[in-house]
Amino acid sequence: MESDEQNQELDKRITVEDLNIEILPVVYEIIRSVEKDHHDNTAKTRESQDCSQKVLELQKRLDQARAEIRLLPGIEYSKEQQLNHLEALKTQLKLKQELLHKYRYMYSFEVQKP
Amino acid sequence: MSTKEKLLYIIDDIELISKEIIENSIAPKHLKLSGPEYAQLTELLMAKNNELNETLKLAAEQAQIDKKMDILKAEVERQDHDINHLQKQLKEAEQILSTAIYQANQKLQSIARANKRPVSSEELIKFAHRISASNAICAPLTWQQGDPRRPYPTDIEMRLGLLGRLMSDPINGHLLQQQNNISDLHRQGHPGEIPAAQQNQFAWHPSGEIHMSVGQGSVPMDTRNHKQETEDVEVMSTDSSSSSSSDSQ
Repeated sequence: MESDEQNQELDKRITVEDLNIEILPVVYEIIRSVEKDHHDNTAKTRESQDCSQKVLELQKRLDQARAEIRLLPGIEYSKEQQLNHLEALKTQLKLKQELLHKYRYMYSFEVQKP
Repeated sequence: MSTKEKLLYIIDDIELISKEIIENSIAPKHLKLSGPEYAQLTELLMAKNNELNETLKLAAEQAQIDKKMDILKAEVERQDHDINHLQKQLKEAEQILSTAIYQANQKLQSIARANKRPVSSEELIKFAHRISASNAICAPLTWQQGDPRRPYPTDIEMRLGLLGRLMSDPINGHLLQQQNNISDLHRQGHPGEIPAAQQNQFAWHPSGEIHMSVGQGSVPMDTRNHKQETEDVEVMSTDSSSSSSSDSQ
């Protein structure tokens, strides 16, 4: 069960292109609806209801943005740290390949003819 | 600070600023912010939004680098696996070689020991022949159930031999007397002294045969059966195989 959940989380790793953080439009909508001056009460109540809904929408958008950011791959470290890791990995790979090559193809046993 | 942390902080800042702006818009007139301050807040919000977009671009680049790193990590793991495999094989080879060297050393030592005291093959064959001639190692090939021959000397053979003739032959009676003296001396307990009589009685001669002193001369003792000599020599090469089969039975 736990592994299934973990697999689902891993599958949910998304790219930045999949992200859709649109916060500003909602803020703009909220401000606009607040600034609107209605003359009749029914419109006002309706407007205030819409407004509270939009505030909730804003909250939801923010939380969604946070959750999606957590799923982005490769951002655990800053860019410099990540590049350092990459260099270290490359060096490690090179050293190991050289080691293997050296020991696989060395031939130090010469057969002595009597 | 990691990119993830940066992104989350920006989101928090945007939340705070937008909350400020919204509260300001619903606040009563006397608590409202002044125009420039309000403009500043809005500018700040825009700036934070831009920062968010740029950091998201950075995150996209880092995701690409992360993919490369995954490929590299897989390669490194493969190399690790190969190195482990090679190490195991080298350890095995080392063990086999060290065993082989040790055994070769043992062989060299036994060769040196053998070379120190060489023995002629003629002598070895002669002794082997003599040992197997009495039929104590392997039964004669023509032996069947009911054959009176035995791997040990039978009583008839013993009576025909020296000890049997000692009793019957009066000429050699004095030798029997000497035998009695020897046994007396032993009973008196002379530990390190070999009685002279016994020493001279049975002696090994250089040719490899037992000689017994009779008076002044010595008589070679016949310890083999001449009749069976030729057939033994012929079957000697196959004897070892037949003796092993009889041993197992």
